[in-house]
Amino acid sequence: MWRKFQRLASLGVVLGTLVVAQDRTSTLIYGGDWSDLITLDPQVAYEFSGGLITDNLYETLVKFEGADLSTLKPGLAESWKVERGGDSWVITFKLRKGSKFSTGREVTAKDVVFSFDRAIQLKGPSSFLFTDIAQLKVGGTRAVDPYTVEVRIPKTASPGSFLSILTFNIGGIVDSEEVQQHAKGGDFGKEWLTSNSAGSGPFRLVRWDRGSQVLLEANPNARIKPKLQRIIMREIKEPTVLRTALESGEIDIAEGLTPEALKAIAANPRFKTLKADSLRLNYLGMNVKPGSPFANPKVREAMRWAVNQDELVSGLVQGNGVKIQTIIPKGLLGYNGALPYKYDPARAKKLLAEAGYPNGFEFELLTSTGLCGGGIPCQDIAAKIQSDLAKAGVKANIKAIANAEALKIYRAQNHQVYLGGWSPDFPDPDGNATPLADFAAKSLAWRNVWDDATASKLANQGSLETDPSKRATLYKLLTDYVLKSGPYVVLYQPSIPLAFSAKVEGYVRNAQGQVRFENISKLP
Amino acid sequence: MLSYIVRRLFFVIFVVWGVTFATFFIAQVVPVDPAIAALGENAREEQLQEFRERYGLNKSRLEQYLIYMGRLFSGDLGQSLRTGRAVAEDLREFFPATLELSLAAFLFAVLLGIPAGILASLFPNRPPDVAVRILALLGGATPVFFSAVLLQFLLAQRLDLLPVQGRLDGFLFPPPRITGMMGLDALLARDWTVFLDSLKHLILPAFVLGMFSAAILARMTRATMLEVLAQDYIRTARAKGVVASAVIFRHALKNASLPILTLLGSLLGGLLSGAVLTETIFSWPGIGRYVTQSATSLDFPAVMGVTLLVGLVYALVNLVTDLLYAFLDPRIRYT
Repeated sequence: MWRKFQRLASLGVVLGTLVVAQDRTSTLIYGGDWSDLITLDPQVAYEFSGGLITDNLYETLVKFEGADLSTLKPGLAESWKVERGGDSWVITFKLRKGSKFSTGREVTAKDVVFSFDRAIQLKGPSSFLFTDIAQLKVGGTRAVDPYTVEVRIPKTASPGSFLSILTFNIGGIVDSEEVQQHAKGGDFGKEWLTSNSAGSGPFRLVRWDRGSQVLLEANPNARIKPKLQRIIMREIKEPTVLRTALESGEIDIAEGLTPEALKAIAANPRFKTLKADSLRLNYLGMNVKPGSPFANPKVREAMRWAVNQDELVSGLVQGNGVKIQTIIPKGLLGYNGALPYKYDPARAKKLLAEAGYPNGFEFELLTSTGLCGGGIPCQDIAAKIQSDLAKAGVKANIKAIANAEALKIYRAQNHQVYLGGWSPDFPDPDGNATPLADFAAKSLAWRNVWDDATASKLANQGSLETDPSKRATLYKLLTDYVLKSGPYVVLYQPSIPLAFSAKVEGYVRNAQGQVRFENISKLP
Repeated sequence: MLSYIVRRLFFVIFVVWGVTFATFFIAQVVPVDPAIAALGENAREEQLQEFRERYGLNKSRLEQYLIYMGRLFSGDLGQSLRTGRAVAEDLREFFPATLELSLAAFLFAVLLGIPAGILASLFPNRPPDVAVRILALLGGATPVFFSAVLLQFLLAQRLDLLPVQGRLDGFLFPPPRITGMMGLDALLARDWTVFLDSLKHLILPAFVLGMFSAAILARMTRATMLEVLAQDYIRTARAKGVVASAVIFRHALKNASLPILTLLGSLLGGLLSGAVLTETIFSWPGIGRYVTQSATSLDFPAVMGVTLLVGLVYALVNLVTDLLYAFLDPRIRYT
């Protein structure tokens, strides 16, 4: 009996090993810190990992391809047009025929209407993109026929922003019938979609073991066939473990390595590394409220001459970021590569003297105890800035506190200078222009008490312009203006360090953080 | 005896209540806004306001506590601010992993620590004793993060013997969830490949987590055994010609077992609550990792839920220890 059992057991092990060996080239294991994952419902997920995964489970009407975030490409819609109606913009989408959900049903206009209305009614953390930015209302989306959808948004909203927002997971189209079947007490299927999927994307969700892993499998009905059969998102928080797991072959891709680890891995031919762009900006925000030294534009300019950006980017950030001085990040329409400020403490001193501070001044530099973009502790960046400013006669007293607390002070306009980061909510220049330039948006310009009519006007014009080249001109004017007189010292645009097994091919990550898993393959 | 048990149970309830009270008000001292922590830098004022209303964060502290306690009586631990799920559901998800890891570590500590202690006590100041004492010193003094990273590097990366992280190889399918303990579920599903692989994943973290307990147990066992072995009745037993093993196990160990038992109780409680670092280093999805994530995002209901659970486990383990006491030593009588 025991012998028989032993034989069976060893047979099981052999079979198991065979299955595992066969799976290795068709399965990708992606390791990273996915601890922010709280839901896989496309209309609710607003965290990085939630978006990363749902992007591959659901399709959107329009999308970006590769690393290009300035040209919209067809998604579920094969074409679309924007027209001026009486008091609103009318955007008409023509759906392509034959797109199918993982359930086997065809994607039609009623699913689009359901998904958009669902996004508004669920009031998820990203719903403001639909309700505030695009000013879309329930009923604003209409099915003209099974393959035609018409969306109306008010004239005050920007159609360009709306189309960009649609590339996000909130614009992911769900199978309305399937979701309604699982709805409970008017939740629009929210509870069910948290850990199940009903999309037409190249993958479908198989299981999510919270805190451990998410398992995706090729969607048999999808129009876009992926190269891999399974994707496993392994949650690994500790950077050293991430590195060891990559080196021992337990994972194929590691996201979130330290700059040192990345350097060491880059030297090993078994691996490849990549520094993917992000749309984040790390910057200093200067509170210009009356009475503050920063109320004087000369002081703000002096600050920009007094930060040694080259040393910061090449030394401290170790190349995990690129130099930038304007407020629209590289990768978006309207990016302005101007770099007029060089480290010049003498010039800064002169400007300060002209502004009435011949002996400099003292201020509090507020930041978080956590990490700033590029995986660098904010306190280290603050210390570097402190020593640069000292040479221009300005004394910065660093106050590093928990991120939420620092943000609270910043949001209440109670800071002097805040060191932090900003990521646009959607991949459109307006995601930076309005918050950073328009006081009325109650975002960053407001927090820094910078109420400037020219900047506000340019930001508004830019958001409503539908002609890309005219839009680019407006953003050139705006970025140059803020560069000269705004309340910011833009420090760098961080990049995301990644390392892969050399067998992984086709990995592309755009600056918005989207990765199309269907293009990834693995060599045997 | 019965009245003793009842009184002890009442005491457990009281302790657990004390735990909720203390954690709730300590949590309130933290001067930051959980809404900002949850929604981040881009959140709008209306979103923050809505969040505060949804979770009752705009009510007074006393009111929040009363609501919390009211819910607690119906078994509702509240809703996590971070995951938006019921805290009880989160605990059901994460606790089995911690239990599995702690029990493995405990088993390892007992199987290694007690025999080592006995061995040392039989050869006082001779090589086996010295070896055990040195190892115990090392085991007790090496921090978890150090031994974990060292062993991961050595055993996993260099020698490729054991996996670095997680509970199961990524290429294997986890068994259907029954108890939530991977090994046990694999056994129930008769999936031997998964069972063996999950054991392989358990070895390193359990060793690292149990090392400290094993060291303490070894020292404690050695000390009590030495004390007992020096007593008159042991000499009498030996003089009578009782077999050596009988002297050691029946006469000496039984009498040395009471202090060891007390220690075991507190060690088990400690393992369950102290798995935070180990879980983080080994990507082990247990309550230790859950509670650190919750604490960093100021998710008070979740932190309270874990504290309550750990408090309850501690109190129950203590209760069982005390009852075992009475069982092992009939001289101990409770009135």
